[in-house]
Amino acid sequence: MPRALVIEDDEVTARDIVAELGAHGLTADWVANGREGLNRALADGYDIITLDRMLPGMDGIDVVSELRKRAVDTPVLMISALSDVDERVRGLRAGGDDYLTKPFSPDELAARAEVLLRRRRRANGGEETRLRVGDLELDLVRHNALRQGQPLTLLPTEFRLLEFLMRNAGQVVTRQMIFEHVWGFHFDPGTNVIDVHIGRLRRKIDGAGQAPLIRTVRGSGYTLAPAD
Amino acid sequence: MRPLTDAWRSATSRLIIIYGALFAIWCVVLLGVVQWEASRYLSSVVDQMLAARIHYLERTDQSRLRDTVDAAGAIDSQGYMWAGLFDAKGNRLAGSIARIPKELTDDGVARPLEAGLADLTREGDSRTRATARTRAVAQTLPSGERLVVAKESAAIDGIGVIIRRGVLWGLTLTLIPGLLGGILIARAPARRVRAIQQAMEPIREGDLSVRLPISRANDEVDLLAGTVNTTLDEIERLLGEVKGVTDNIAHDLRTPLTRMRTRLYRLQQQFEGRPEGQQLDDCVAEIDTVLARFRALLRVSELEDRQRSACFEAMDLGGVLRNVHEFYAPLAEDRSQVFQLSIGPLPSLRGDPQLMFEALANLVGNAIKFTPNGGAIHLAALTDPTGDARVDIADTGPGIPPDEREAIFRRFYRGDDTRSKPGCGLGLAIVSAIVRLHGYSLSVGGNERGAVFSVICPAD
Repeated sequence: MPRALVIEDDEVTARDIVAELGAHGLTADWVANGREGLNRALADGYDIITLDRMLPGMDGIDVVSELRKRAVDTPVLMISALSDVDERVRGLRAGGDDYLTKPFSPDELAARAEVLLRRRRRANGGEETRLRVGDLELDLVRHNALRQGQPLTLLPTEFRLLEFLMRNAGQVVTRQMIFEHVWGFHFDPGTNVIDVHIGRLRRKIDGAGQAPLIRTVRGSGYTLAPAD
Repeated sequence: MRPLTDAWRSATSRLIIIYGALFAIWCVVLLGVVQWEASRYLSSVVDQMLAARIHYLERTDQSRLRDTVDAAGAIDSQGYMWAGLFDAKGNRLAGSIARIPKELTDDGVARPLEAGLADLTREGDSRTRATARTRAVAQTLPSGERLVVAKESAAIDGIGVIIRRGVLWGLTLTLIPGLLGGILIARAPARRVRAIQQAMEPIREGDLSVRLPISRANDEVDLLAGTVNTTLDEIERLLGEVKGVTDNIAHDLRTPLTRMRTRLYRLQQQFEGRPEGQQLDDCVAEIDTVLARFRALLRVSELEDRQRSACFEAMDLGGVLRNVHEFYAPLAEDRSQVFQLSIGPLPSLRGDPQLMFEALANLVGNAIKFTPNGGAIHLAALTDPTGDARVDIADTGPGIPPDEREAIFRRFYRGDDTRSKPGCGLGLAIVSAIVRLHGYSLSVGGNERGAVFSVICPAD
């Protein structure tokens, strides 16, 4: 079972995070102080760390910098009330892998934690060159996609979108996460554009008579998984 | 605001000119009065001399009168005084005056002669000078003879000439240095007014942190600038308070709303597929809308508060436009809209590509939203004649009425035609804040066939 370290000084927020990660199959430990959090992260082998930006004892930025300096490559999801783009850039430059602004939906946090965990597993297992979900295949070297052996004609954006969904197969990804990972932007697009892109991809991969692979999770986002 | 470029238009210059003109008029009037008084006085002196001479000749014995009259002119070698004795018919009997001037009546009252001495003297009289001013008196003697005495009064003209010359020199020596000095004096206040005007420019564009310059002169201009600065301090404080309250409400309400959404979302998962699930879906969607508005509101504040350009770099504006076009093309296609992109040669620019994408995405998103199905949107970038980059987002929507074209950039503003569309009236405020952060300018034009938003990006 993957282990998570939650470094968060607000007890209510920490309880929510621990509960949500637990619901997603992670064992979570909670630490309320930056320096203590750094010591725990250095001592124990955690699979993922959620790290508040403003902490007593030691600032979140300093904690993640120190971890990276000591070659600890555990994925760090930074959480902050500071939504400014510059703050995000600082957090990511210091060594954070993702940045979530307070207040957040616990399912959003869990989804991001899952993505980071999968990325870590991929990194440990070597870079994949072919993704497969059910009868859908994606060749990352040849840059082509097949469904039931039939080639699919995808635009570059559709290919990146499908790759992101397949890398996180079975995992709910939010519209914001799709926008950040596929397009690389960190603001709220505020329209249904992501839905339109997903709709076009859906029409291309879920042909007539084929079991739908992309499902909408109401109130949350999308998931790509073979039908049960 | 009209620029104060012409020094003659300044209040100081105008006052100096008005004062100079009044001073000149006053000088002319004053010296006119002096001349008039002097002339009057000199005329009265001449008249007294003429009266004295007439009186003397009247009392002269009749037997010696002719000789005395002859002598009266002869003894005056300077030719200042003439005398003439005439019979009752006006024939000359004695003296240096040839004939009785027509202006004279025999009443003993001195009168000026129009033609001066030329009218009185005999030809060849060496003392005759064509003087412009001569006064004469005629008197009938008891014997019936007529006595005429005249006196040249050139001194009066001389005084007039001296006074007129004095006026001209006085005015010249007073007005020319006065005007030059005035122009020089007016330049300093004009410079200060220009400095104040320049300081007002960013204030007019919404930057309330700027203050008007105050010199050490501590004069009325400084007093006025100080008053404006105090007013700006107060406006800035009040706006800051209003904005702070708005931001705090948005910030503080997000946490309970997010928690409420989390609970509703969990309930929604439990009730999925049941009638209650649909209601819970709607509740979650409503909360998402409110949270999106709060996010947008805080985003505007965050952008407006940014004074830095930490992420500014050499920016490929064409690349940003291609990304925006690629991102929105499917949405336009779904609405059967023609979405064109044209990019001409562009100058090098500095900026934050992420923020510019956000701004242009907002504008394109609006264009697609407000253009009817089957319409057209054109995203174009080119270098304008001034060398700056210009991005136009043109659509075939309903257009924006001219009286709303400034208001649409305000927070929460929604025109009558847009209330039925989804949105919160903060998108253009975000665009405006990003454009201002870059030092670019944003304008909206178009007509009833659609709107055109233009972003001018000065070249790096």
